[in-house]
Amino acid sequence: MSVMMKVLTANRLTDGIAVWLGANGEWLESIDTALIARHAEAADALDEAGKSAFNNNLVVDIDLIDVQEVDGEIYPIRLRERIRASGPTIRTDLGKQAEFRPATAA
Amino acid sequence: MYRYDEFDHDFVRQRVGQYRDQVERRLSGEIAEDAFKPLRLMNGVYLQLHAYMLRVAIPYGTLNGKQMRRLARIARDYDKGYGHFTTRQNIQYNWPKLSDTPDILDELAEVEMHAIQTSGNCIRNVSADHFAGAAADEVADPRPYAEILRQWSSNHPEYSFLPRKFKIAVTGAERDRAAIQVHDIGLHLKRNDAGELGFAVYVGGGQGRTPIIAKKIRDFLPEADLLSYTTAIMRVYNLHGRRDNKYKARIKILVHETGEEEFTRQVEAEWDKLKETVLKLPEDDLAAIAAYFAPPKLQDRPEGWAQIAAGKKADSGFASWVQQNVTPHRHPDYGVVTISLKPIGGIPGDASDAQMEVVADLAEKFGHDEIRVSHEQNLVLPHVALADLENVYRALLNAELATANAGLVTDIIACPGLDYCALANARAIPVAQEISERFGSLERQKDIGELKIKISGCINACGHHHVGHIGILGVEKKGAELYQITLGGSGDEQTSIGQIIGRGFEPEKITDAIETIVETYMGLRSNAEETFLEAYRRVGPAPFKQALYGEASKAA
Amino acid sequence: MSETRLWKTGGFVADDPWRIVGEEDMPEVIESNARLLVPLARYLELSETERTPENTGVIVAPDDDVSQLEPHLDKLALIAVTFPAFNDGRAYSQASLLRSRLGFGGELRATGDVLIDQVPLMLRCGVDSFVVSNETAIKRLSEGRLPGISAYYQPSATPSRASGSYAWRHVDRPSA
Repeated sequence: MSVMMKVLTANRLTDGIAVWLGANGEWLESIDTALIARHAEAADALDEAGKSAFNNNLVVDIDLIDVQEVDGEIYPIRLRERIRASGPTIRTDLGKQAEFRPATAA
Repeated sequence: MYRYDEFDHDFVRQRVGQYRDQVERRLSGEIAEDAFKPLRLMNGVYLQLHAYMLRVAIPYGTLNGKQMRRLARIARDYDKGYGHFTTRQNIQYNWPKLSDTPDILDELAEVEMHAIQTSGNCIRNVSADHFAGAAADEVADPRPYAEILRQWSSNHPEYSFLPRKFKIAVTGAERDRAAIQVHDIGLHLKRNDAGELGFAVYVGGGQGRTPIIAKKIRDFLPEADLLSYTTAIMRVYNLHGRRDNKYKARIKILVHETGEEEFTRQVEAEWDKLKETVLKLPEDDLAAIAAYFAPPKLQDRPEGWAQIAAGKKADSGFASWVQQNVTPHRHPDYGVVTISLKPIGGIPGDASDAQMEVVADLAEKFGHDEIRVSHEQNLVLPHVALADLENVYRALLNAELATANAGLVTDIIACPGLDYCALANARAIPVAQEISERFGSLERQKDIGELKIKISGCINACGHHHVGHIGILGVEKKGAELYQITLGGSGDEQTSIGQIIGRGFEPEKITDAIETIVETYMGLRSNAEETFLEAYRRVGPAPFKQALYGEASKAA
Repeated sequence: MSETRLWKTGGFVADDPWRIVGEEDMPEVIESNARLLVPLARYLELSETERTPENTGVIVAPDDDVSQLEPHLDKLALIAVTFPAFNDGRAYSQASLLRSRLGFGGELRATGDVLIDQVPLMLRCGVDSFVVSNETAIKRLSEGRLPGISAYYQPSATPSRASGSYAWRHVDRPSA
């Protein structure tokens, strides 16, 4: 039984692009370097950070999502979140998979 | 086709200005997301999984070359070089920036287009038969009425905050290509015994969570009463439609809960007070709008007959395409060309900017500058001389737009599904692609004959699965995708809602299941002419259940 | 929650004498001299003498049938309609019926969730006074920035037919 881990995701207000909260407090366009909450207090802190960013009109649709670490990479539990993190499965030339991980798109 | 006059231009310019102001308020932080969301939705801007999405209205699916070229340019300049044509005859862009959307609307306004009311709890884009004005079986062109409804419903002060969204469809032929019986209001344009034009009025149809076939509440409504009667329906709905539960808020539930008779009585009582008001359409106005849709002057081109006969003999690909994708036009020397946006293994409804420009060119050169978007997610050139078909075919072939599969098993409707949509529970497009690959052989498709597969990635049914001969609904079960199959649905003049055949299938098993169903049909059809739907209606679900689930089905 | 103000097309109105009656102070308060807005059902129960236009108005709930007020409209100076939330559009129909069908000529007031982007639509349905508490709405109204569109594709309570155009098209002012 692995510990449930969480990362905070949202879409940027101005262009709607999917983003994840990084360790430096910046919203990142790739999930790879997102800040992982490994216990409840950390998850609460992420949640707070999300609310604050929402209230400051930086992002919309904030969501604390469940992830695992697989081979050192962040792997969202839900398919929906995996698709958000990579891009449309039917257009691997588009989205994060094309912008950040062209070599491992498949 | 309809052209804006100064009034329309002024209206759309003001509407874009209004929206630009709303976006500025949002970006400056003056208004919060909860206040902004309904405002952006009223202009077709959604937030999806990867980015915003902009839905642009193509009223009753009709546009010209210049407009298509502009759609291509927007795809290139503001998006990622493609667009997605939808089952509501609209186009969606998947990657626009919110901050760019007012500029996109300006670009659209220049070519007499907009995104008004492509979402929200208001009257949506009015859809119509995509063969309108060209089909051989048409009583009259339904588009003038769709245009009048489009105008009347634009920024309607009383009906902008309905209990739920509201969709109207109009058709002018006995053969229903607009699926009017699964619309909130369906209008069937026809002539009465005296030869006058009017409508059979259907109300309360719809798909979604609770699929219901519309009730015909009036057999003949004189054309002059179009707006007064529609207003009466809208008023009864706006005042009495349920607002306590969004899943019960569509007019179909009101009609169902009120009872067809009582609902009709309320509408007629309201109409009684409206029909002699300013809403009554003057003959001059009807004629003026209809004049915009006057059929193009088509010269006789009898040489086309011999040309296509020779062309078909020389090129079997051309022959198949003519057979499958060209429908009779009311002028014998012309045809209605369906441009399939369903290449084998492709994404249903997607077109690149370059493809859109090819279609624009062809429309201008060979198609009297008219293009249609069908609710089956294809494009249509409604007036092409038979003599020009081969040129059109060659150009489409070069642009990978010549798939000869209109109406066949690979002409699949699919919603964007979980690859894009924030509401989806499962993917729809990959399922369509795999089925398309499996049945890719044209010979096999032609052998199977007419078969409509429709796929939705959630219960909202944007992929029209309820009216698919074979419908597929993607659900999420225990965190994984699962696909339920319905059989026997149809969205034509004999509308029926498909029945769930049994337990769902995993993504890796759904294509096999579809193939089993198709093979079962092939084995039991009484002859090659009996279509899948006819065969299903004759034999019912039992043989298909047996083939899919074997003995286990008997226990269930 | 910010302040609540009353706006009419001429601007904000400072001294508004009307207030909504509370359930608890019925019916005694009605006999006092306050100008009260009474729920429709209660209004219909009042006696003729209690229905004085200068003292008694009606507040209509979204599920009320406004046609019940038809016999009393000439004795009403004020009717208020309610928008419990911006997306509850029933009051648009109620206002339209009161103005266009029943010919109500008194003040028609919007209460509830009155937002700036909806005010132009309410005006077109015949609403002519607005109880506003939304901050953006108050700010914009005080700056005279009403985000309306002056070309209408449908008849409604206030506009007139656009000259030289189709019957359903209307504009703000009668054309000369």
